[in-house]
Amino acid sequence: MSDDVLLRATDVVKSFNVRGGKVGSKKVATAVNGVSLEILRGETLGIVGESGCGKSTLARCLVQLLPVTSGNIEFEGTTLTGLSRRQLRPFRRQMQLVFQDPYASLNPRRTVGDIVADPLRINKFGPDAQITERVKDLFVTVGLDPSYIQRYPHEFSGGQRQRIGIARSLALNPSLVIADEPVSALDVSVQAQVLNLMADLQDELKLTYLFIAHDLGVVRHVSDRVGVMYLGQLVELADADALYDEPLHPYTDALLSAVPQLNDGTEVERERIVLAGDVPDPAQRPGGCPFHPRCAYATDECRSVDPTLVEIRPRRFVACHHPLNA
Amino acid sequence: MPMSVATATSDAVLRVRDLRVSFATRQGLVRAVDGLTLDVAPKEVVGIVGESGSGKSVAMYSVLGLVRDANAQITGSVEFEGREILGLSDKEMQPLRGGQIGMIFQDPMTALTPVYAVGRQIVEQIRQHTDMTKAQAKERAVELLAEVGIPDARRRVESFPHEFSGGMRQRVVIAMALSCNPRLLIADEPTTALDVTTQAQILDLMGRLRDTHGSSIVIITHDMGVIAEMADRVTVMYAGRPVESGPEVDIVRSPRHPYTWGLLGAVPRIGERSERLATIPGNVMSPLDVPVGCAFAPRCEYAMPACEARPEMRGEGHQHACWLSDEQRVAIRATPTKDAP
Amino acid sequence: MFSFIIRRLVSAFFVMFSISVMVFLIFFATPGVNPAARIAGRSASPQVLAQVSAEFGLNRPLPIRYALMMWHLFFKQDLTSYVNIGVKVIPQITGAAPVTLSLIVGAAVIWLVVGVALGVVAAANRGKWIDPLIMFGGIAAVSIPVFWLGQVVSLLIQRKFHSVFSWLPGSGFVPLTQSPWQWALHLLLPWLTLATLYAGVYARVLRAELVNAMNEDYVRTARAKGLSERRILIKHALRCSLVAVVSLFGLDLGSLVGGGALLTEVVFGLPGIGQLTYTSLLNLDLPVIMACVMYGAFFIVLASAIVDVLYAYLDPRVRVAK
Repeated sequence: MSDDVLLRATDVVKSFNVRGGKVGSKKVATAVNGVSLEILRGETLGIVGESGCGKSTLARCLVQLLPVTSGNIEFEGTTLTGLSRRQLRPFRRQMQLVFQDPYASLNPRRTVGDIVADPLRINKFGPDAQITERVKDLFVTVGLDPSYIQRYPHEFSGGQRQRIGIARSLALNPSLVIADEPVSALDVSVQAQVLNLMADLQDELKLTYLFIAHDLGVVRHVSDRVGVMYLGQLVELADADALYDEPLHPYTDALLSAVPQLNDGTEVERERIVLAGDVPDPAQRPGGCPFHPRCAYATDECRSVDPTLVEIRPRRFVACHHPLNA
Repeated sequence: MPMSVATATSDAVLRVRDLRVSFATRQGLVRAVDGLTLDVAPKEVVGIVGESGSGKSVAMYSVLGLVRDANAQITGSVEFEGREILGLSDKEMQPLRGGQIGMIFQDPMTALTPVYAVGRQIVEQIRQHTDMTKAQAKERAVELLAEVGIPDARRRVESFPHEFSGGMRQRVVIAMALSCNPRLLIADEPTTALDVTTQAQILDLMGRLRDTHGSSIVIITHDMGVIAEMADRVTVMYAGRPVESGPEVDIVRSPRHPYTWGLLGAVPRIGERSERLATIPGNVMSPLDVPVGCAFAPRCEYAMPACEARPEMRGEGHQHACWLSDEQRVAIRATPTKDAP
Repeated sequence: MFSFIIRRLVSAFFVMFSISVMVFLIFFATPGVNPAARIAGRSASPQVLAQVSAEFGLNRPLPIRYALMMWHLFFKQDLTSYVNIGVKVIPQITGAAPVTLSLIVGAAVIWLVVGVALGVVAAANRGKWIDPLIMFGGIAAVSIPVFWLGQVVSLLIQRKFHSVFSWLPGSGFVPLTQSPWQWALHLLLPWLTLATLYAGVYARVLRAELVNAMNEDYVRTARAKGLSERRILIKHALRCSLVAVVSLFGLDLGSLVGGGALLTEVVFGLPGIGQLTYTSLLNLDLPVIMACVMYGAFFIVLASAIVDVLYAYLDPRVRVAK
């Protein structure tokens, strides 16, 4: 892991217009509310959060699949926000997405060989024979038999389909792979296979990963650094070990304590913190800190002032007025 | 005949013996459940854990007669409080369903009828099984919603399902399932579709309700963590067959079946980071290709010629179905491999 | 719910407005044609042409012309047909409308009851013999052309089986106010003819919806609650499938009332809007055609607004989404 910043996001905001119940009212749902982060070359940055926290929206904004409402995104120093589609094209090759649902992300009417070849064809990689060779190589890389390229997606299991999705994302030799919940839809044993594969590929191909998931165990396993999102904001960002061993934000603490423990002697006993209530609607954000309605330590300051993400210790960022253990 | 902790007497709430469910399909016979034996004692939480294709859900559906496929063949014995219920007609089952045996399903977003208020749906169940008037049943519905932690229950009893979040909907479903004080609650992946903090709330709720209502619970899941948290005893299933069963603590701390080892090893922990996750090679096989012998043998590192015959569950209290002798097993577990946890 | 209804009516009004503008432009603003001649008819004298020009402001800007046309059509109601000289258009429409309405409403009641009943029976007995029988019957009903069926039925009643059915009139219309019994008798055959087609469609659609609904998760929950299969089918599955039927019904009703029952009216000699549209098209009687189009459009828009409101009543989720 170097200090070389591959992708930098500054104050990214993404809002959607939502139709209101009353005539003429326009509600705005802010899915991403001012996120700044840096992805360093060669690392795996994990983003963890529950449904509605905006992590998938953030991923799509980073690769410019969605235009940002405001904010800046830079790839290797070049600003991406505001570029036209043609100007974005060379950068698109460098950043690829792997999606969550292996059953929905592959076109059922095309052979898997065609699906993986698509990015190569679109980017005029070379003559057909060369493309086929590359596709076969990619299949071997992800652990699939190259003779399978003539088959259709429905002939494969979930784990195999996810490997195909990964092969597709690797076709153009990207430097950054953004994986949006890549193993959530898979059984535990298959999940382990795919995670191991992704780790191997990272070493072999010198990839950088942004790994988005809601499963805390998975995120810990793959990540060097981890960011926790809540209601569209980053509330904590730190090295994985530090974050998991000693969370500083009350939400992170509750999140970690909520994971059911195996009690087989490998884990430290955590006291369960049960949060009250639900995640609020992104169209009706509470004032001040987004977490204050559910936080056991909320004060008046929390209710009125939205804390910013600050580095309170070396390499430990928290957005909280009263971080734990501070 | 294997004995389990809960029972020689019939104070067991549920006794399942050699349950088999097969479906005749065009491609052949699919044995979804192939010989499940299970006991549930009063106030006990029994977990059934397995991955997709393990047959865990189908098994419990067939307990309640919810398998409606005309091509299904169900054999074996299921006794509820001493009475055989497998093979009863719909009419005979109806008093049990929702009355003595409650069931909650995986996806709370689609589990409730979208066009009726939640109160009305709870009242419908209550009036199906008791003599309460509409007004009395509605009062009970409000009480139940409050009990499961729905704020402002009196007002929300008139709300429609889509006006609740996923976690709240699951609470409504739980309230409904418990409305007639069933002796047994079957929960099919009750928290899989929910966020981890919501899951914590729901599991917490279920635990408390088990104490206040005194029901036994069968909880079906693929998540070993949920099992560890909720279950007193566990049965691990693979390809329709039970491969290991016993007290939860024993299963998690000293598992005996190679599949259970693989399953526990493949779970990434939040407590520490392992270099590589232990994996089970290969894929879960198609239910049409299940071998005659041990179902797990094709993927098992320790497969031997003996595995061509199907192993039966053996042991007292903590049982497992494997041809490895006790000595062999102890030797394997004593040598740390780079993959084992 | 109330705000939903208001919103829906407002949007319906805007749709009607747009349609009136489009109709106006098509009939009276296509370049290269002299609108006065079109309004006045083929063999109009120059004085008539001049009068028409003045009345309709044909030398004035387009919006004024539109306003004047709408004024004549809706408020003064003195647009006259220039084929049947002097006969006013609006009274023709208002005279024909009750006939069409009588036909449609009666047929609708029949096809709804029969269609829904058959659909439920087929779904409840899915796989047994009665299910494919009903479905086949449905296809047959849909495939038989209305005019053929009407003619054949007419023929049979009046010729072959006249002795048996002499009490059944062959054609014509008797207003409800004049004699309810005769009114119903004259409409019986047209009702059944028109209803056959739609009953077939509705039975098939409902059966498909019900079969789908019975596989939904909420039906599984209902079963796990211990409810009887019949209760599940009627109270849960059917209730949720009704929305599909309602949407279909609204649009069918709207288009039929707007003149779509043309063939039935012609076959059975009922002087309704369908027949009016038909004859005016044959004669190229422009004012009448325009009035029929507007009338038809109005009913379709109204019907679709009513359907949306009903939909929102039946499915509470829609109230929020809009």
